[in-house]
Formats: sequence, structure tokens, C-alpha cells
Amino acid sequence: MFGLTIGSLRYRAGAYAASFVTLFLGAIILMTFAALLDTRTAGLDEATDLALIIMPSVVGGWGLLIVTFAVTSTLTMMVRQRATEMALLKSVGATPVQLGRLVVGEAAAVAVLAVALAVVPAVFTSGWLVSILKDSGQVAGDVPARFGPIALGVGFGVTLLAATLAAGFAARRTVRIRAGEALLAASVERPGLGWGRGIAGTLLLIGALNCAILTLAVLDPTKPESMAVAGEGAILSSIGLALLAPALLRGVLAVLGAPLRRLAGASGYLTAHNLRERAREMSGALAPIILFTGMATGTLYLQAIENQVVAGGATYAEADIIQTLNLVVVGMIAVFTAVLVVNTLIASTTHRRREFGQQRLAGSTPPQVLRMVGLESAIIAATAVLFGSVASVLTIVPYSLFKTDEVLPDVSIGIYLGVVGVAVLLTFGASLGSARRAIRVPAVRAAVAV
Amino acid sequence: MGAERLVRPADGVIRLEGVTKVYGTVDNPVRALSGVTLRLPAGTFTAVMGPSGSGKSTLLSCAAGLETPTDGRVFIDGVALAGSSETALTKLRRQRVGFVFQQFNLLPTLTVLQNVTLPLRLAGRRVDRAKCVEVLTAVGLGDRLDHRPAELSGGQQQRVAIARALATSPKVIFADEPTGALDSRSAREVLGLLRHAVAAMGQTVVMVTHDPLAAAAAGTVLLLSDGRIVDRLTNASAEQIAERMTHLGAVDMPGVR
Repeated sequence: MFGLTIGSLRYRAGAYAASFVTLFLGAIILMTFAALLDTRTAGLDEATDLALIIMPSVVGGWGLLIVTFAVTSTLTMMVRQRATEMALLKSVGATPVQLGRLVVGEAAAVAVLAVALAVVPAVFTSGWLVSILKDSGQVAGDVPARFGPIALGVGFGVTLLAATLAAGFAARRTVRIRAGEALLAASVERPGLGWGRGIAGTLLLIGALNCAILTLAVLDPTKPESMAVAGEGAILSSIGLALLAPALLRGVLAVLGAPLRRLAGASGYLTAHNLRERAREMSGALAPIILFTGMATGTLYLQAIENQVVAGGATYAEADIIQTLNLVVVGMIAVFTAVLVVNTLIASTTHRRREFGQQRLAGSTPPQVLRMVGLESAIIAATAVLFGSVASVLTIVPYSLFKTDEVLPDVSIGIYLGVVGVAVLLTFGASLGSARRAIRVPAVRAAVAV
Repeated sequence: MGAERLVRPADGVIRLEGVTKVYGTVDNPVRALSGVTLRLPAGTFTAVMGPSGSGKSTLLSCAAGLETPTDGRVFIDGVALAGSSETALTKLRRQRVGFVFQQFNLLPTLTVLQNVTLPLRLAGRRVDRAKCVEVLTAVGLGDRLDHRPAELSGGQQQRVAIARALATSPKVIFADEPTGALDSRSAREVLGLLRHAVAAMGQTVVMVTHDPLAAAAAGTVLLLSDGRIVDRLTNASAEQIAERMTHLGAVDMPGVR
């Protein structure tokens, strides 16, 4: 099995690029913060000690969650695109357990490589983090930065754990399908959302509402917990809406489908059709953009409201640490969801090379193909931004009411526009870029390529 | 297009003049076609045969405007293809050319009827639903309009592809191994439909095949070897074609691929 793993890895180095980038960035962030625990020595003042413990714990926990989620997504996509290969392996006698081990083994090998390469950059970023914390006064000026066994242990441990967990999740579904069914290569999706998704999404949304109510009705405005609860609301509602993405996309299409077909000609006809028939595949890109918009907007505005209140007087001891953590976590989420969005769009567009070829043989000009992909991106971006904004409003409005008695905070709309701008740019850049590459091949050859 | 149209019946629907196609790198060029000149008149059914690697699929791609020749000129319906952009070529193809492929190339998410109307939509032409239904009924799929390609047999999918090609009323239909993925009964049906299109509707059909049985359905058979046309048979039987292929040193025998 090991020989097959290495051979398979060598052959498809490109397919693992997204998982590698995710694990590599994750390892750098994790080790950067874990090194704070190495830096912590006896005889530090209380504030420094607190900062050096809280930060790595929070970032470590979040890191495991975010990296696992991100790698699950990149690996799932990769495994799905190898469905035919998996089916072939099954038909020559590979058991589900063997296939699972193949995927987990490949992921673990990629993770080890990613962490090993992340060590050197992490040494520099951890030194840099300590100097930032010193400049902001959260850590005493005479503490030397260290990079040691804890950083390495957390880096390898968490990254490997995330990668193997993710590979386990990713392999589960593909591997469960019977060989015959897999070889049939169902190119048409089953309609509907799936019970699990619907229930989980609804529960998370209820949880988010609960956070909003707690913020408004129960919590004490002078305690830092309020922000944690409100922040959780943004996260829960974003994930909830991301899970419901296929249904949301169908809903948007029910409204936009008719004008799209009427106003945008054959490209619009195909766009509406593709989005409806492939709602689930398309929401692979929709979900991370909702997460990105919802979490980034929510957390950044919570922090902005907080800063405003702090400027007005009322504050508490951990305010600086919380701000740093908020920004780091938002930064992490932003980076990973960006990788996910780009990876999903590039992978799915490249996957559609054959479809584009067939469309061109049926009479689609290259600009018509690009227009169709552009319209798809526009609808995906608009839907994601709409629901990402809904998710963040669920947090921002209660928190603003709670802290300032205003429905909307008196904070610049610039942050929001920035977040939306990044989301839109990522969506169009990734999908149009890969579509352009995909249609450079002559149509006859693209149509026979598998 | 901007090209002058001087169509005289003698020019034929398809005209190739000294068409050469070279693939590969400068250091390792592969010559797929060497100076092919031919003329195919309207209302004829021509089969292009030859051993694997003889250049028959390249000939079809170049004649249909799917690929640009390295040298020489191609005219479809009197319009020169030289120097056209991919967009211009696509527009020319969708006005004048229909395609049938070995792998059907139907779009999996579209229904049978939607697949047939798609070329018309893409060309911005009025979608004559009644006519499309009529064509589908003529190929025996009038009761399958709302099915997806995956719900049909290979032979049925190929008949959808033929209906799609016929629905745009093209000047010429190019078929690349249309029976290659079918069982013998479905293959006969598909060949029958192509013959009917020529005989009853005056359609022009060019078919690439390696199968002498399929080629025998055509009025003219062009034999290709090493990128050149080496023989031309008229109204030949499958046996005569197979014999000529064997003389060419062709390893392709019926049923052996």
C-alpha cells in the first residue's frame, strides 16, 4: 500500500497543491503561536504570562478546526475527481479499508512535507509575533523569543491530525459507494439538499439566533464574554448558511432564472440551467465565500464596535489580547477560505473542460463560454455576499444594540466593501482564469479528454 | 468572415487544396496530412477510411474547421477558412456544419430536446420547437424528449446527436466513427439514418470510419494512408473495401481495434 501511495503522490503532485498550501500555511500559523509557549519562562510578570498562554491556546484550537475544515474541503474535491480511479481500484479488488488507507496515507505524507517546509518560515514569523506583542505592550520588553519543542510538537501534531481527520472524512463517502455504481459515473446530480445538511444548517442557524438573544437579553456589557458570544453567532450563522448553500442557490435562481434567460441569450440560458442542475457542485464554491464574507464582516465589525466603546472609556484587562486574537482568527479564516474559494473554482472549472469542449462543438464561441462562466460567477458571488451579509448582520445588530443602543454601528462601511471586494475578485479571478485556460485547447480534443 | 463567396456547383460543398497538417514540436514533427486535395459535391455520402494513424480524423477536423491546417486551404460552402479566429470559425461551423461523434458529445444535464435545440440557441436563431420534435420523431425518439442522455442507450444517444446535427439544416454533416461505440444493430440504425438524410433530404455527409461495413453505406470511399489519399472506391461492398484495406497493409480489421 505504501508503494501505491508514493507512486500516486508523485503522479498527481498538482492535485495535492491546494491541500499542501492549506497545510503549509496552517502549520506556519500554528507554530508561530505555539512558539509563544516556548518563549514563556519562569519569573514573567502576570500580564505577559497570560498573553503567552491565551494566544497559543485560542489560535491552536481555532487552527485545528479551520485547517481540518479547509483540508477536508480540498481533499474531498480531490477524491471526488478521482472517483473513476477509485472505482477501478475497487473493481480490481481493493477493499474500502485499503482505499481509505491510500487517501489517508497520501494526506499524511503531504502533511509531513508541509510542516517540515513550514519550520524555517515559522521561526521568523514567531520572532516577529513576539516583537509585535512587545511593541503593543502585551509582552514585557525583556523577554527573548524562543522556538522550541512545543512549537514543533504542536505544528506536526495538529497539522497531521487535521490532515488525517480530513482524509478520513473525504474518503468515507467515495469509498462507501459500490464499485458498479461508481463506474456508472453519475454525471447528473440527485435533486434536493440532503437531510443531514438541512438539519445541521437549521440547528446552526437556531444556535446563532440564540447567541443574538443571549447578547441582547442576558449578558453583562462590561464583561468580555459578551463579545465571545456575539462572535460565535457570526460563526454559527455563517456555517449554517454555508451548509444550506444549495437550497439558497436554487432560491436565488427561482428569482433570477427568468430574467437571466431572457436578457443574457444562450449564455444566460446555459448559466441558469447549469446552476440549477448542478446546485450542489456549484455550492462547493458558494459555501466558502459565505463563510468568508460572514465571518470576516461579523468579527471585524464586532472589533470596530468594541474599539469605539473602549475609546469612550469602559474597558477590561484582556481587551488588547482579544483584539489581537480576533484579528489573527479573522486573518486565518480569510486566508483559508480564500485558498478554498480559489481551489474549488479552479478545480471545478478545470473539471468542466470536457463540457466546455462539447458546448463548443455544439456551436458555442469561446466568448459565449466565458460569458456563461462569468454569469455563473456573478450569481455565485452575489448569492454568497447576500447570505454572508445576512449572517454577519445577525451578529452585528444585536451587539451594536447591546453596546451602543444603535441598530447599526457608527463605523465606516469601508471594511464591508473591502470584504465584499475581495470575495468578488477571488470568485471572478479564479473561475474566469481557469476557464480561459480550459478553452485554449481545440474543442475536439477537449471533448474527448476525460 | 469577410471572405468572398463564389459557390459554383462544381466547387463542391467541401474543397481542400493541398492541405497539410503537422503536429508535434519542431524537433519531432508528426505529419498527419500531406498535401490532400479533394472536392466533395453536395448530396453525397463519403466515407474516409484508413489504418490507425493514417490521418483520417485529422482530415475531418481540418475539413470541418475544427483545426487549422499547417498549410493549404479549406473551403466550406465556398467560404475560405484561412486566417479566421476561433470565434469566426465557430460561427461558420454552426451555420453550415453539423457533427456526430463516436462519444456522442451530448451535454449530460440537458434533456434530449434541449440538446437538439442548443445549437440554434447558441447561434441566436429562432428555436423552432415543432421542427426539432419532428426531427427527433424521425430518428425514433419522439417519446424520449424529456429524458437525459444518461437514461438512453448508446444507439439512442447517437440518434439524438444525429437529430441535433440535422436540426440546424447544415450544408454538411461530419461524422467521426459514429458507429464506433455501438453494437451492430444500433450501428445499422445509425448508418440507415445517415443514408436516409443523403437520399431523401439531399444532405451531404462525410464519415470517418475504420469499419468496412460502415464504409459500405457510403457512395464513395476514400482510402487514406500516411496522410495521403491513396485510393477511391465507388459503390463498393464491405468485402471489396476490406480487401483493399488489406492491400494497404492495414491492421484494422472489422471488429478488431
